[in-house]
This record gives sequence, structure tokens and C-alpha cells, in this order.
Amino acid sequence: MAEHYSSFQRGTWRWVLQRVTAVFLIGALAFHFVLLHFVNHAADITFAGTQARMSNIGYFSLMWLFLVTAAFHGLNGVYNALVNMGLDGTRKRVVAAVLVISGVLLVAQGTYVAIIMSGVLS
Amino acid sequence: MSSTYDRGTVESFSRWQEFSAGMWAWLLHKFTGWILIGYLFTHIAVLSTATQSPEMYTDTLQGLESLLIVRFLEIGLLAVAIFHILNGIRLLMVDLGVGLESQDKSFYASLVLTAVIALASIPTFLGGMF
Repeated sequence: MAEHYSSFQRGTWRWVLQRVTAVFLIGALAFHFVLLHFVNHAADITFAGTQARMSNIGYFSLMWLFLVTAAFHGLNGVYNALVNMGLDGTRKRVVAAVLVISGVLLVAQGTYVAIIMSGVLS
Repeated sequence: MSSTYDRGTVESFSRWQEFSAGMWAWLLHKFTGWILIGYLFTHIAVLSTATQSPEMYTDTLQGLESLLIVRFLEIGLLAVAIFHILNGIRLLMVDLGVGLESQDKSFYASLVLTAVIALASIPTFLGGMF
């Protein structure tokens, strides 16, 4: 193979996890788009409809896993793209810390929202 | 096993005319990836209106959906997501060593399929606006 373009270094854990999450996200993102734009139209969405879906433990689990894997895949992608573009030294460590904190906050807020949507808390 | 190609300073704008299909695929994958992670933060922020009250959540979503620009942005988001998915499948295949000789064709196929699906979705996304 003559040419291969990637922001990732093959064989690293970041590369492996990016591929593993990608396989799950291909299905989850397609399912999410189809369900909330083609089966249920976004303009017709109400809290009651959202609660009906999110109170199903299987759907809730899928959406939560979707949130976690998408946050990891996206932020890991950003980190590797920046490292690939030459990010180094202290700036690299600061960016890593900012991205990890952003991811944790995103997942925490998303989990809180999901629990509210499920109707367990109100 | 592939080796990483030394692409030099591809970020130099003047070099775009020299880009190969693989380089365009890599750049478009990065570009769509940045949009999708940016959208994820925005998405959770909008959905967080559910923490205020059920009415605020419903009103916010329906208010946004009443704007034509939002409907067009949704079509754009769908196109971005589809390209990222299709090119992502292509990248997984490349990593597995499948279809290495057809990388250019599979990239062009990803672009065409993205355009077809996005165009076909327009009636669904604009439904009820006119």
C-alpha cells in the first residue's frame, strides 16, 4: 500500500479504541438519525414522547452508551488530530487535560439530562 | 502492512491542487469529525432544557424546528454524519486490508452516496414548513 493518511499512529491504544468505538457508533448514529428524523419527526418531538422512549431501560442504556462512546471518539479524534499537527510538550498535556475534563463534564451533564428524561427524577 | 506517508505541510492552502483522493478523504473526515463533536456539545446543551421543565424542553425543540434555517442545518448535519460514517467504514476496511486497490473509488462512492441520501432526505426535513 503506497499511501495511507491518518491522524493516528497504528497499534496504539488510542488507535484501537477509536476503531472499536467507531464500529459501535456507525450503528448507533444511523439508528439515532433514522428514529428521530424519519420515524419520529424532530418537529413533532415532545417531552412526553422523549420520556416514553427514555423510560425503556434498553433504549436508555443504548443512548447512554452512545453518549459515552461519541464523547470519547470525538475528543480522542480531536486530540490525535492536534498531536498529528505537531502539538507537543506542555501544550500537549494541557490540551489533553482540557479534553478529558470536557469529556467528563459532557458525559456527566448528558447522564443527568438522560435521567431527567427517563422520569426517574423530576 | 501500510506505512504512514510523509505528506509534508498539507495544511498549506496553496497545495490543495496537488492533493490525492486519499488526502481529500482524510481532510474531509477530520472536518466532518470537528463538526460532529462540536454538535454533540450543542446537542446536550439544547436537550438540557429538559432539566428546567417539560414545557421548556418541548417549546425549545418545537421553536427551533419552526425555523427554516434549522431545517437546512439538519440536512447539512445529516450529510456530515453520513459522510463520516461511510468514510469511517472505508477506513476500517483499509485497516483490515480489504479493498486497498479501490480506495479512491470507495472515497468517490462515499461522496456520491452522501449526496444522494442528503438530497433524498430534503422532503422529510422540510416537511410541514411550507
